[in-house]
Amino acid sequence: MNLKQKALLKSLWVFHMSTGSCNNCDIEIIDCLTPRHDIERFGMVLVGSIKHADVLLVTGSVTRKCIPRIKRIYEQMPKPGFVVAMGECSLSRGMYINSYNCPLPLDKVIPVDVYVPGCPPRPEAMIAGIVKLIEKIKATSEGKK
Amino acid sequence: MTPLEILKDLTDRFKQDIVGVFEKSPKRIYIEIKKEALVRVVLHVFRELGARFNTASGVDVRDHMEMLYHFTFDKIDAVFTFRIKLDKSNLEIDSLTPYFEGANWIERETTEVLGITFKNHPDMRRLLLPEDWPEGVYPLRRDYKEWDKNAIRDRGV
Repeated sequence: MNLKQKALLKSLWVFHMSTGSCNNCDIEIIDCLTPRHDIERFGMVLVGSIKHADVLLVTGSVTRKCIPRIKRIYEQMPKPGFVVAMGECSLSRGMYINSYNCPLPLDKVIPVDVYVPGCPPRPEAMIAGIVKLIEKIKATSEGKK
Repeated sequence: MTPLEILKDLTDRFKQDIVGVFEKSPKRIYIEIKKEALVRVVLHVFRELGARFNTASGVDVRDHMEMLYHFTFDKIDAVFTFRIKLDKSNLEIDSLTPYFEGANWIERETTEVLGITFKNHPDMRRLLLPEDWPEGVYPLRRDYKEWDKNAIRDRGV
């Protein structure tokens, strides 16, 4: 594991993108940052620009207008970057699966590394997903070595 | 003024334009009017009686379509709705945007999702649907069929 990957594991910075979410998942993200769950102990912090972020956190069912925009955001993310799909909507569109405006699930638009199911997922589920993401990064970097 | 007084004033003034009145509750009154009378009834309610234009809604009820214009009287907590039935062969109605700006976006949205055309609308562009959406496909109509061949409609499990 080189220095860059070690630094990455210590402080994953997260950019949150809402693609037509109902705001319930977004509230749970804020919940994660409160002292009760305290996700900053993993070095995570929400940042305001994708160019500063290592993780793209997507909530909401991807609408037709959002598809080109989320592709553009994914292209702007500095690599190595990871995508976390959060909530039933971005996993499989949930109750909007037959909607005229939601033709594709998120993982057919951009590659997704970690799925966090739930409507909305509890903060504990999100922390579990993030720990899995850290383990995945560790495993891939050691495998490369 | 009470809602019943407003209703009496409207029924006296527009006797030949009103088709029917339905009082859902004392504060929620539906008035069905003729299509030609829309602008003069609505402008009387908006300018003379001082109601607030809340929103408009379009409904596809299978054999015909309806446009509903909701007006709120904030001081007496009453909502008046003007209902216009539209034949599916002639989906054309007068626009209210030249008279008040609040009708602009809801008329643009109704046009693209239901296909009702608004006469004399000054700026009829697309509002919400994406740019690659085909012309003449209206997603909220009852007879809407899937047009996108690339859409995936199963959960993959």
